[in-house]
Amino acid sequence: MTSHDALSHPPVHIVGQLVDARLSLLDRQVVDVDGRPVGVLDDLELTDVASPLEPGTPPPEVTSLVHGPIVLERIFGGRRPDAHLLRIGWDAVAKLGPAIELAAPASELPTSWVESWLRDRVIVRIPGGRHVPR
Amino acid sequence: MKRLFAVALGVLTAIGGFLDIGDLVTNAVVGSRFGWSLAWVVVVGVVGICLFAQMAGRVAAVSGRATFELVRERMGPRLGLANLAASFLINLLTLTAEVGGIALALQLASSVHYLLWVPVAALAVWQVIWRVGFDVMENVTGLVGLLLVGFAVAFFLLGPDWTQLTDQLLQRAPHGESPATYWFYAVALFGAALTPYEVFFFSSGAVEEGWSSEDLAQSRLNVLVGFPLGGLLSLAIAGCAALTLMPLGVEVTTLSQVVLPVAEAGGRVLLIAIILGVVAATFGAALETTLSTGYTLAQFFGWSWGKFRAPAEAARFHITMIVCLLVGVAVLATGVDPVMVTEISVVFSAVALPLTYLPILIVANDPDYLGDQVNPRLLNIAGQVYFVLILVASVAAIPLMIVTGVGR
Repeated sequence: MTSHDALSHPPVHIVGQLVDARLSLLDRQVVDVDGRPVGVLDDLELTDVASPLEPGTPPPEVTSLVHGPIVLERIFGGRRPDAHLLRIGWDAVAKLGPAIELAAPASELPTSWVESWLRDRVIVRIPGGRHVPR
Repeated sequence: MKRLFAVALGVLTAIGGFLDIGDLVTNAVVGSRFGWSLAWVVVVGVVGICLFAQMAGRVAAVSGRATFELVRERMGPRLGLANLAASFLINLLTLTAEVGGIALALQLASSVHYLLWVPVAALAVWQVIWRVGFDVMENVTGLVGLLLVGFAVAFFLLGPDWTQLTDQLLQRAPHGESPATYWFYAVALFGAALTPYEVFFFSSGAVEEGWSSEDLAQSRLNVLVGFPLGGLLSLAIAGCAALTLMPLGVEVTTLSQVVLPVAEAGGRVLLIAIILGVVAATFGAALETTLSTGYTLAQFFGWSWGKFRAPAEAARFHITMIVCLLVGVAVLATGVDPVMVTEISVVFSAVALPLTYLPILIVANDPDYLGDQVNPRLLNIAGQVYFVLILVASVAAIPLMIVTGVGR
């Protein structure tokens, strides 16, 4: 073990609320501005951190939420090509709570290929596919 | 007036919606073999489902989060996926049993072989999910299912021998079965009363209907009045079998034997009412289990879901349900006996129950989700006592099933 001093950080002044990402963000539902499910949060992307780390470097910032099919890699391992990931910019987040609420509607966010394929090729071709059940 | 109507409707649909093919078959089997000796399990089961549904409904209404969203959040992706796989497969088994139940009831009504009714029943279930709104679906199946009150009518028409039933109730009457069989059926009856899909459906339904904290009183009333009245119907079914079939030494193995006492007591009119009630009850449960296949997968993977959206707005949700119905039809098409599928499904329901009960119990105590609506102290003690019960039933189920050869 190195001495405690070498590991200590410069004091960080926190403005606002402290959130434990693992406890309160990971695996939470992400919903759009109308409460429609968009996905479940699988990962966060941070800004790059210089290596080696110089004293006084500012802490990394969260840039985007990552979701989509990568839940299978989280369970079974492996790495999916970067282009397959679905990303939502952190600036779209409106509120954190039992779900992560976004300020944008789902139509303006990247959608899953499987969902849109099934919708366009199967569901809308069945009579009644576009009507809300009443 | 409108408010009173809403309350009455909620309670009535809860009674009608309480019974499904698992309750019908298991209560009749148990009644014909043990009389009312296992009636206490129905009481324990009803209290359990009231607790569970009440907690899941409150969590969904206050936090807006349904069961499998919470399973993923609380257990993480790995354990959550194992949980999903087990719950999903058992729900699929229940779905198969319910579709088989509709077909058997239609066979009783029409004398047309049930295998011909299976695709018709599945198609009808899918069309209701595809086109009919949530409220209409719930109310119609629930109200027609109320015809099962005919079991209570038949029970009283049969002139119950109260001393004999009380002796059975107080375990003073020998039933001539081994203790292992007795406990096997205790677990089966518990699983029939506390089927996991009821909770997936209840909590997702709260989101479908857009419940908020203000709707909680109504939901509590529906559950606390409707479910116990549904439990009384379970006792009537077991009582009918105990009064007519037990003295003859007939063990229930078919749906026609379940309704036989009704025909004996009330003649043709009551029989027609009961068969209609059975069709409505199994149809309602088939809708709930089918929706639950979609709910569980969609909530775990974060897909858009819900009957209040057009199918095009929830494509994977609807595809899941169509595929699951087709799987159910394929399983039934092999000619497997739907009554046997039912008996196995209630046992596995008991096995799977702790998987969804525990996350709900934990979240019902979490102020991050529920604020000041967390479990009050007494409810929490009851909730934890039931967790132990559910765990014991779950662990005992499979060994008892093997030892007794599925209760034979």
